[in-house]
Amino acid sequence: MTTTLPFDGIKVADFAWIWAAPTTSKYFADHGATVVRVETESPPDLVRTVGPFKDGEPGTNRSHSFGDFNTSKYSLSLDLKNPQGANVARRLIGWADIVIESFATGKMDDLGIGYETVKKLNPSVIMVSTSLMGQTGLASTYAGFGFHAGAIAGFYEITGWPDLPPDGPFTAYTDGVAPRFLAAIMMAALDHRRRTGEGQFIDASQLEMSLQMLAPQIIDYNASGRMVSRIGNRSRIAAPQGAYQCSGEDQWCAIAVETDEDWANLRSAMGKPTWANDDRFSTTEGRLSSHDEIDKGISQWTADKSPQDVMEILQVAGVPAGVVQRSSDLMRDPQLKHRKFFRELEHSEVGNVPYTGHQFRIKGYDNGPRFAAPMLGEHNDFVLRDLLGMTDDEITEIAISGALV
Amino acid sequence: MLSPYTVLDLSDDRGEMASMILGDLGANVVKVEPPYGSSSRRMGPFLEDAPEPENSLQFFAFNRNKRGVTLDVTTKAGRAALLRLAEKADFVIESAGPGEMAKLGLGFDAFEKANPSIIYVAISAFGQDGPHADYVASDLTLAAMGGPMSVQGNPERAPVRLSVPQAWLHASSEAAVAALTAHALMIQTGQGQFVDVSAQTSMIATMLHARLAHAIQGSDMERAGSVLQAGAIELPLVHECADGYVVLIPTGATMTGMVPWMVEDGIVPEEWIEGEDWATYDRRFLQQQPVVYALEDVFDAIRRCVLLHTKADMLDRGLRDNVTIAPINTVEDLTKFHQLEERGYWLMAPLPDGTDTAVAGILAQLSETPLDVKRWAPKLGQHNHEILIEMLGMSEAQAIEGGATIP
Repeated sequence: MTTTLPFDGIKVADFAWIWAAPTTSKYFADHGATVVRVETESPPDLVRTVGPFKDGEPGTNRSHSFGDFNTSKYSLSLDLKNPQGANVARRLIGWADIVIESFATGKMDDLGIGYETVKKLNPSVIMVSTSLMGQTGLASTYAGFGFHAGAIAGFYEITGWPDLPPDGPFTAYTDGVAPRFLAAIMMAALDHRRRTGEGQFIDASQLEMSLQMLAPQIIDYNASGRMVSRIGNRSRIAAPQGAYQCSGEDQWCAIAVETDEDWANLRSAMGKPTWANDDRFSTTEGRLSSHDEIDKGISQWTADKSPQDVMEILQVAGVPAGVVQRSSDLMRDPQLKHRKFFRELEHSEVGNVPYTGHQFRIKGYDNGPRFAAPMLGEHNDFVLRDLLGMTDDEITEIAISGALV
Repeated sequence: MLSPYTVLDLSDDRGEMASMILGDLGANVVKVEPPYGSSSRRMGPFLEDAPEPENSLQFFAFNRNKRGVTLDVTTKAGRAALLRLAEKADFVIESAGPGEMAKLGLGFDAFEKANPSIIYVAISAFGQDGPHADYVASDLTLAAMGGPMSVQGNPERAPVRLSVPQAWLHASSEAAVAALTAHALMIQTGQGQFVDVSAQTSMIATMLHARLAHAIQGSDMERAGSVLQAGAIELPLVHECADGYVVLIPTGATMTGMVPWMVEDGIVPEEWIEGEDWATYDRRFLQQQPVVYALEDVFDAIRRCVLLHTKADMLDRGLRDNVTIAPINTVEDLTKFHQLEERGYWLMAPLPDGTDTAVAGILAQLSETPLDVKRWAPKLGQHNHEILIEMLGMSEAQAIEGGATIP
């Protein structure tokens, strides 16, 4: 096992908030970088005020909407509008290799730490500004969340049932999409800087990055005028596909027949019921046009079985099937256990709690979140003294000014 | 930025976006396809509805900034050519499924032997080993097993996925991050790395704050249609408007800007403007502190106001008045959104049928190393001569033996 970490020695000043940008800087924190999350009590990051809270009890340091997105980071509470606070921010920017922020466009300039200033303080810094719409254009000031970007991008239109208004993906979908693109961009920029010494400014729009997820459909519309919309769980090219209700309370198993062979295997696994022997069902076209009828038959078969049993029977038969898992199911999932996906870490206020692990494993390196998310302002002294090298007197003066809130 | 590096893309629709991202960031990407083409060439949507290998828009969309060669890796000559390419490469990305490459003698060991500092990224549904490693999967079953379906959709009906496949795109974009993380480790240790990306866990990430709900608060989050669950409060997100739907929540800034619209439309009396500290309205109702106008009355007013206006008008007026309203766009609506045009987002791409079409643009705007698209998706075997013969110095006969067609 190597003890070297990929981003050992890299320093990040993290002025991000909510989910998208903190998830991005978390990639660096979890993999060895020293990341200082700058936040304030007044008001706290919005996600510190929404659940899930540990044991259902609200509290600034009890939210996993914050915690699970901010592992391996140090927290500095800082009032950026206080002149002493702004001074500390400038020191931090001078210290950093990467500065990331996700305020409304123009706010960093208003605070006196826009890119022109940042570049003077630290000529080779990589500064990342990320927002829904990007730093330029009429809509650059659009102050929304990931569900707004999700609607504008088109993800709402394609999620739900054709006969009902759109349901949309779960909350802020683009917050789950954009961080990967942005982290990759930043890692490339960091490698470029390592080789050339050159820093730069990165203007990343959450909407623009997320549109890659619909790239074929955008071309299809532009080339043919064809538009996608929501079709429940069905596929346009294969059938039957859907989530089928099983025994138990609101339990479902997803089944996806992709080929004629899958259909033959599904039919056998169900014990070759007579309804399924219909000749019309032997082709994709036939199954697509008889989808409702086939769904009824499959649902009868699944109704008295647990979703796990349905999945296991069909997996043995080689048919794609998977339990619709809730968060409690994920904690029991044997595959996730095998990968040591969830990691328990000791949080200073709420104690030992599980955190989401990494989606990739690097052989010979037990990668995962390194330490629990910080309490608000937990590392003020460590950051000022140990990272920025301030003296007792300096720290006292800053504290007296009221900047450390 | 990544111009010193070469990526071998051995993947299909399950991994092609990973190497596209590295290519967009400047890497030299070689797409290696079997002689009959990547399976993604057989995936729609298709140009002119004609399911031919050069007409797949799935393939076209995720294979830009790549050169393409064909090799038959079931032959000795094909494998030898691939490993010679690996000697000059920095990254290999594959999505064949656990153990499949090793069966061909092309597992990590073979590549590491050819190139000790290689970063080998394997993308699969559940990971390379473990009790579910060999489970068959599709986009739908990954959306189920990864959890997002459990919190998506109308509670009166089945849980739903997005109607455009997403799972392998999540896994692919994660694989790009994985590749660069492992590379940063290799820079320090000099050691090649094997990286195992699981699509199931990539889907878990998209569950956001629901993924650990049970372990933290003692209960799962449940699907609630388009309702946003913010602690004890439920906020309807989707509202019908004059020509479709919009997404809107009553944040402080949005209410400050929108109450005057409601007054103007005769929906609420004028005293609403001064009658509430709208700027802090959201924080108070979230924390269940006193508000002057009850949340249900506010939502009723929002509903009635929104019904009177079109989504495009509300987006534009909202931008002026600091009201955050998002139209639920179709693809057509999206292509008309002026912001993307103003930022020069759309790129014109020459489609295989000879027409030019607007496509999704670069990933972000960089001040010193601007990203661009240097080439569009390769035709099958388009760069066989350039790469196999000119670069590797293979003879025509050797290339043909390895599965390449040489024009």
